[in-house]
Amino acid sequence: MLVVGAGCAGMRAAIEAFDGGSDVALLSKLHPTRSHSGAAEGGINAALGNASEDAPDDHAFDTARGSDWLGDQDAIEILCAEAPGDVYQLENWGAVFSRTQDGRIAQRPFGAAGHPRTAYAADITGHVLLQVLYEQVIKRGIRVYDEYFAWKLVEDAGRCVGVIAWNLLHGGLEAISSRTTILATGGAGRLYVGTTNAYACTGDGMTLALRAGVALKDMEMMQFHPTTLAPTGVLITEGCRGEGAFLLNKDGERFLENYAPNAMELASRDVISRAEQTEIDEGRGIDGNVLLDLRHLGAEKILERLHGTRELSMVFAGIDPIYDPIPVRPGAHYHMGGVDTDVWGRTSLPGLYAAGEVACISVHGANRLGGNALMETITFGRRAGQDASDLALRTSDSPVPESALHDAETELKTLLDRTDGERPWKIRDELASTMHDNFGVFRREEQMEEQGTIVEGLRERYEKVVVEDKGDVFNNDLTQALELGFLLDLADCMVVAGLARKESRGAHARPDDYPDRDDENFLRHTVVEWKDGKPEIGWKPVTITKWQPAVRSY
Amino acid sequence: MQVALKIWRANSSTGGRELCEYEVDAPEWATLLDVLDIIKDRHDGTLAYRKSCRMMICGSCGMRMDGAAVLACKTRMASIAESGHVPVISPMGNLPIVKDLVVDMEPFWAKFRAVKPYLQPGYTVPPANREHRISQKRMNAIHKESLCINCGCCVSECNAMESSPEFLGPQALAKAMRFVGDPRDGAKNERLEDVNGQHGIWECTRCYFCNERCPKGVDPRDAIAKLGAESIKEGIDRDMGAKHAKWFVHSAKTTGWLRETELVPKTQGIVESIKQARFALSLARVGKVPPPFPPHVAKDVRESRRLHELLHEQELGGFAGVVQGEAALAKLANGHVEGARDPYGPGSFPKPEGA
Amino acid sequence: MGTVKRVAYYKGCLASLSAKELDSATQALAPRVGLELEELESVTCCGAGDIQEAEPDYSLHLNARILSYAAATGCDTLMTVCNVCTLNLRQANFQLIGDAELRARVNRNLISVGVPAYEHDVDVRHLLWELAEGEGWARLQGAAHKGLKGLKIAPFYGCQILRPSRILGFEDPDRPSSLERIIEACGGEAVDYPAKLKCCGFPIIQAREETALGELVQPIEQAIEAGADAMVTPCPLCHLSLDAWQSKLKATTGRDFALPILHLSQLIGVAAGLGESELKFKRHVVPVGPVLEKLDG
Repeated sequence: MLVVGAGCAGMRAAIEAFDGGSDVALLSKLHPTRSHSGAAEGGINAALGNASEDAPDDHAFDTARGSDWLGDQDAIEILCAEAPGDVYQLENWGAVFSRTQDGRIAQRPFGAAGHPRTAYAADITGHVLLQVLYEQVIKRGIRVYDEYFAWKLVEDAGRCVGVIAWNLLHGGLEAISSRTTILATGGAGRLYVGTTNAYACTGDGMTLALRAGVALKDMEMMQFHPTTLAPTGVLITEGCRGEGAFLLNKDGERFLENYAPNAMELASRDVISRAEQTEIDEGRGIDGNVLLDLRHLGAEKILERLHGTRELSMVFAGIDPIYDPIPVRPGAHYHMGGVDTDVWGRTSLPGLYAAGEVACISVHGANRLGGNALMETITFGRRAGQDASDLALRTSDSPVPESALHDAETELKTLLDRTDGERPWKIRDELASTMHDNFGVFRREEQMEEQGTIVEGLRERYEKVVVEDKGDVFNNDLTQALELGFLLDLADCMVVAGLARKESRGAHARPDDYPDRDDENFLRHTVVEWKDGKPEIGWKPVTITKWQPAVRSY
Repeated sequence: MQVALKIWRANSSTGGRELCEYEVDAPEWATLLDVLDIIKDRHDGTLAYRKSCRMMICGSCGMRMDGAAVLACKTRMASIAESGHVPVISPMGNLPIVKDLVVDMEPFWAKFRAVKPYLQPGYTVPPANREHRISQKRMNAIHKESLCINCGCCVSECNAMESSPEFLGPQALAKAMRFVGDPRDGAKNERLEDVNGQHGIWECTRCYFCNERCPKGVDPRDAIAKLGAESIKEGIDRDMGAKHAKWFVHSAKTTGWLRETELVPKTQGIVESIKQARFALSLARVGKVPPPFPPHVAKDVRESRRLHELLHEQELGGFAGVVQGEAALAKLANGHVEGARDPYGPGSFPKPEGA
Repeated sequence: MGTVKRVAYYKGCLASLSAKELDSATQALAPRVGLELEELESVTCCGAGDIQEAEPDYSLHLNARILSYAAATGCDTLMTVCNVCTLNLRQANFQLIGDAELRARVNRNLISVGVPAYEHDVDVRHLLWELAEGEGWARLQGAAHKGLKGLKIAPFYGCQILRPSRILGFEDPDRPSSLERIIEACGGEAVDYPAKLKCCGFPIIQAREETALGELVQPIEQAIEAGADAMVTPCPLCHLSLDAWQSKLKATTGRDFALPILHLSQLIGVAAGLGESELKFKRHVVPVGPVLEKLDG
């Protein structure tokens, strides 16, 4: 079986599958340790109870409420119940967590959490987890198709039978057959001009699934992280606020007093991003930013627990947070939406799974709590790995048909042969800036509609995109052009879903026309399917087990 | 701002290499990576280099600027452009070139795998479904080594590896130390044996290029010293390098000054010393081989001997002796001077209420 | 002439023994460049990279002892003439100054063996730094009256006077200029070549000779190709490998190099008109005679 994407979710899935007896391989367009999971900073949530009395039920409630009740509570309950065991396993494998006074895994407070349950490793938690998982991959000798760009999923006789990938190092398309395939390709932050995401986060798996006939869920739900650096969107961890940092406007006021008076800087991310955007839009920002003030934490704490943050701030903003507040603004960060799966990572296409940010089970609903993403990658990566492995062991081989490879080669040749046309960067930049303007923190009907038209226009121009590098060896001019194609399809889906949801919920905020939440009509997931080259909207109910939707305020 | 670069282009399949010059318009905040993106997007799509996170954590964009390995995403271009300097960008050293700035990382990963970079659980088993209980202080022993993002900048500049390509190298050895120092690992002595081979720690030439180039503060050279100290502490000291090091200790506590003449036979053994006789003569002829007797003894050397005995009682042996100094040295790396400026002083953003 | 600067002088192992010529030249040069040397006697080897790699706690204490005795002279500066000593002493210094608890522990240990505690901080500086700028630089120019008459000198820095730069910190480790300035002040012409800042291989010249020689050949070969008459280095360990091991390069390359290698003090000493009795070139393996003849001829 094959796992496409080798970040935390992908590697955890592969490890589980290997331990379950499967001949599993990882395939990734980046070397595994380059995956964007490594950029996660603040921590991973689990009700370990090391910092306070805590219970999985509390974690689940916080998550359900944090999701603005759009999260499927059966999935949430599973995540929160299994999280502690998964975190302990990571530690037993050697993860270098920060420690409490009595030597246990340290946990810090994080946004919208009732108890401090975010287990952390200074402010490089993602890096630490990525390293420990890669170590376990090496220990088992799991095969890695390193620097292979997955371009198409292959369906045959109603099953997913493998992928067609471009070999980046040597060139050429290759068909890799697998009985089951797990997509773990992460998110699509590159849709936006200000994003915390790496260049590699182009939503590959989502589009692969979409084009293979699988539905995408809640695509309008893109989380904007409140503290990113201008202009590029480099992430400044929520951990700063967990350690006690303040958010200030240009008048030095902790403006969250007016938006989230109880939780203040530890309210949920969508609430804070909207608060910031409002302050900025109403003229109380500085150059389009608000200020994240760490000065009162003191040099010692900053150097010990937020060392990475300080370095990022100094290199990219020229600010030493010991002495000056950091200018921050909302940036596209995490896609709550994604490939529609169940609690075992199964999609509607037999043999195809998804786990991690690429998937939408949905655990996070309309807004994700900080620290829950890493947890999801591990818990649901493991579950998808287990189920996909069990299925693979019960399934017979079914190779990728030669015609699929042949067709792909023809399509690729057309692209590569083209000499007359537009270079991808213009289309890419226009997509990102218009998405930022028209589909950002605040959504408005006319702007969303306009965005739909813009995306249509960009997709037309994309038909004539030119790849300058015609060579075989390390042709990332080609792969970057293919990534743009993925992004364009996703943008289309997002706009359609955004227009369809006529309410404000979580990260989808429509302040002008639908400022309130409408549980009666919209306590359901948007579902988008690709029909005749266009996204078609549908709906899916939310699973409620324990908690009825209530007022959500911080 | 206008930024000019010279880039060494190369293609392993054609074998050609050429130095190409580019000049582009870039924003003031642009990094080297941003400039490469502008060149690739708008001028030459065939330019090949790796990138991903653009925030110094994924380790993809290692390359050389003016012969020194850096992360392209960490290198701000404003001051370089302003000074009018045109840097030369080339791929990392000590690794085969694939294309332009892309190197074949497989030899790097092979050495990484060679040190068995995964926890081998020991005798202390945590209670079922819970974590090992370890103090933060104890874990700090491997804090720096755990920062490594596998970027290759250290390997690129390693002088020993350039001369001896099979040298395990700074990255692999730092990773080895990450496990040797991890209290949860049960294979310490096997690991130490592994790094005491022909191309292990004793081949490090101590050029400190790795410490200098590492963009994350791992200090691989210090990790290698930690491995050496721990090896000798555990009695793994057959290597000439270990014998050489131990003779320094012996000299310091007996005569104070290094007992140079005896160093050769003590390090290389009698047989090898005899083979080197002719070479030794060339030194002796000019007086560089002082007779070992009477020994050149420093004044008050008994203080040194007493110190040695005292420290053995205090048992801060092995890598702990290096780790104890890391907190102070981190201050140098942080570039933070206590009390240098009042964060709320005149000219600062005002102190918020409740701070 | 200006006031004389009194410095605590730590010469290190090599200058005491196999590189006696370095100590002799330095002591003779000092008064000419306004330095009064207070030689430290109750000291030991700084440990080189070796004690650090064998018993780092002992290494820290040995260096603390040297610092303490240096402070006891009442001088503000502890002057070294070796790269490795400089790095070790500076590193120990930063560790003690930056960590009060560590310093307290080390001092307790020093006191209990009869060594004064290290209380008053000293600054560790290589002779190279003393003479490359400021007052020292001015005096150097005055002292170098005989001059080098345009002799082509290849500077070889040696790793540990440059790296790690946050501990050494005197100049840009990738674009240093102290040696070039001194060469030029002495009337010589500094010659550039790629391996100027690389490693000579000395630390592994016994344990891994082949690897070390692969490093050593680079500066020697390149300096000769660049037209150098001689090479200068501020480190006696580099000097040992560059000078004493140069003949071994014949076996690996088939070439006889014969590039004279000078200690920094000797180079300045020549320019200042010092003679053989002080500079002791007879102690070199590669004869320095040809270069001196060129000067006099």
